[in-house]
Amino acid sequence: MGKHKAQPPAGPLRGSHGKARHHLLTEHFGTRDLATLKGYQRFGGYETLEKALGMEPKALVDEVKSSGLRGRGGAGFATGVKWGFMPPPDGGPRYVVVNADESEPGTSKDRYIIENSPHMVLEGILIAAFAVQSHQAWIYIRGEYDRPYQMLSDAIAELRDAKILGPRPFGEDYALDIQMYRGHGAYICGEETALLESLEGKRAQPRSRPPYPAVKGAWARPTLLNNIETLATVPWIIRHGAAEYVKFGTEKNRGTRLLSVSGHIRTPGVYEIEIGVPFTHVIMELAGGPFEGRQIKAFWPGGSSAKVLPASRMDVTTDAEALAAADSMAGSGGCMVADDTTCMVETTYRLLKFYAYESCGKCTPCRVGGNWAVRTVAKILAGEGSRMDLQMLDRIQAGLQDGRCLCGLGDSAGWVVQSAMNHFPEEFEEHAVRHTCSVKRVRAAASA
Amino acid sequence: MPALDIAQEEVGYLTPEAMTEVAHALNLDPGYVEGVATFYSLFHLEPVGKHRLYMCTNLACMLRGAYDMLAHANQAIGVSESGEVSADGLFSTEEVECLGACEYAPMMRLDHAFHYDLTAEKIDALIGERRG
Repeated sequence: MGKHKAQPPAGPLRGSHGKARHHLLTEHFGTRDLATLKGYQRFGGYETLEKALGMEPKALVDEVKSSGLRGRGGAGFATGVKWGFMPPPDGGPRYVVVNADESEPGTSKDRYIIENSPHMVLEGILIAAFAVQSHQAWIYIRGEYDRPYQMLSDAIAELRDAKILGPRPFGEDYALDIQMYRGHGAYICGEETALLESLEGKRAQPRSRPPYPAVKGAWARPTLLNNIETLATVPWIIRHGAAEYVKFGTEKNRGTRLLSVSGHIRTPGVYEIEIGVPFTHVIMELAGGPFEGRQIKAFWPGGSSAKVLPASRMDVTTDAEALAAADSMAGSGGCMVADDTTCMVETTYRLLKFYAYESCGKCTPCRVGGNWAVRTVAKILAGEGSRMDLQMLDRIQAGLQDGRCLCGLGDSAGWVVQSAMNHFPEEFEEHAVRHTCSVKRVRAAASA
Repeated sequence: MPALDIAQEEVGYLTPEAMTEVAHALNLDPGYVEGVATFYSLFHLEPVGKHRLYMCTNLACMLRGAYDMLAHANQAIGVSESGEVSADGLFSTEEVECLGACEYAPMMRLDHAFHYDLTAEKIDALIGERRG
């Protein structure tokens, strides 16, 4: 994309500094110079990589396995188990591909991590590369992330100069390299096989699995794909040991994670939380609760693909199991909060437009169903709907779900409709049948 | 895709000729190159303004007034809807999906940088600076 001018400074950090009870990832965030190699090394940066390079790769995989770390990209799969899927080296190339295509609506934590501590991310990537016996890592970063791209590129250049990247990092006979690749605006690239297609310079349409990327990934070679936050957590685990890490979180969902909290709250930000704290803590304490005179109405606990929950469920905890029991999911940690001035039919419409627009067009239910749902909700919003449209909408959302497509994008569109209609049936009813919107009165009163 | 970037940087948007040239340079079928270009939203197939305001209107920004900001920006550059280029050729707006800076909503990307906590005044100032 040509030469970039110097980036203006990032906005003031909005996050958990001084507020969270536990800082594993964000401990030094906000320190001046943390983004430079020198600054990062002041806090023991790359000592963990040096230690890891002297260990057995399998011991590293086992350590991550016993830490219970789960992927932070959205699916929540056990990271160590994924590392273990990589077949034994056969002498040919194998890759670590880093998913920095953060595009799930409401999610900004990977950007926050990169902008604060790019070297922490790179150290995690290099440890992972050695653990799965890869020499080449690729960072696939979304094209809109100009500043994070620049910061990672600068950090990689520093590592090359310091010979931490190159043929003999820390004198060990194990060549390591990291390359960057920029996306070009497609949500679907967050899906791992679509990302690989895009990395290979093609239209980003998901592949059918098997074969899984561990067997046939980038350029048909064994490939490990992990999210930025997942890899940024790895140095802490290897440095302090899995036994320390499992002291945080719940039994099935260990550690801390970063939640990006946005919407109708007083102090939006990216907050590091111990997994298992309730959303009341996140929304009412960390994020400062609703605006003066307003009430929280609903929240999406893990990005727009996580089913919306009513405010009465803010007692649910942040671990994957509790959220699944509440019929939602932990997802990517993007918590969006809406207050009582929000019309749930409007939010449904906006999110459906997103899923319809971002559908890659490969699978029919998602390509056709997404747009059909958009048209149906548009009709209801315009006051031209009827009870039949509600029934139709219900059938469309069911048709989008349950693995009818190669990836989860179609399911997510179905969940948007299903959860909103399930928790806020009266709002859909009044729009479709009585052609009114009670929220408009709340809004009028709020602005009066 | 990096080759298409170079072409787009040069012409401003991807003309059929530019895509054909990229295809020849890389020994690819022009139809294949066009297929890739049309898939990604950051490749422009129509003329765009010199300064593009990529305005996020997805949920987190929408909840904090993104649609008012979009309407204001369109009015400020003198177009009736997103996609049109201002009469002086300097500006165009584009409604985009979540840009991953939700704690600073509403926000936009302009000239390879993010601009946070948008207000009508901030948008006016950013546009004014670029008019010179």
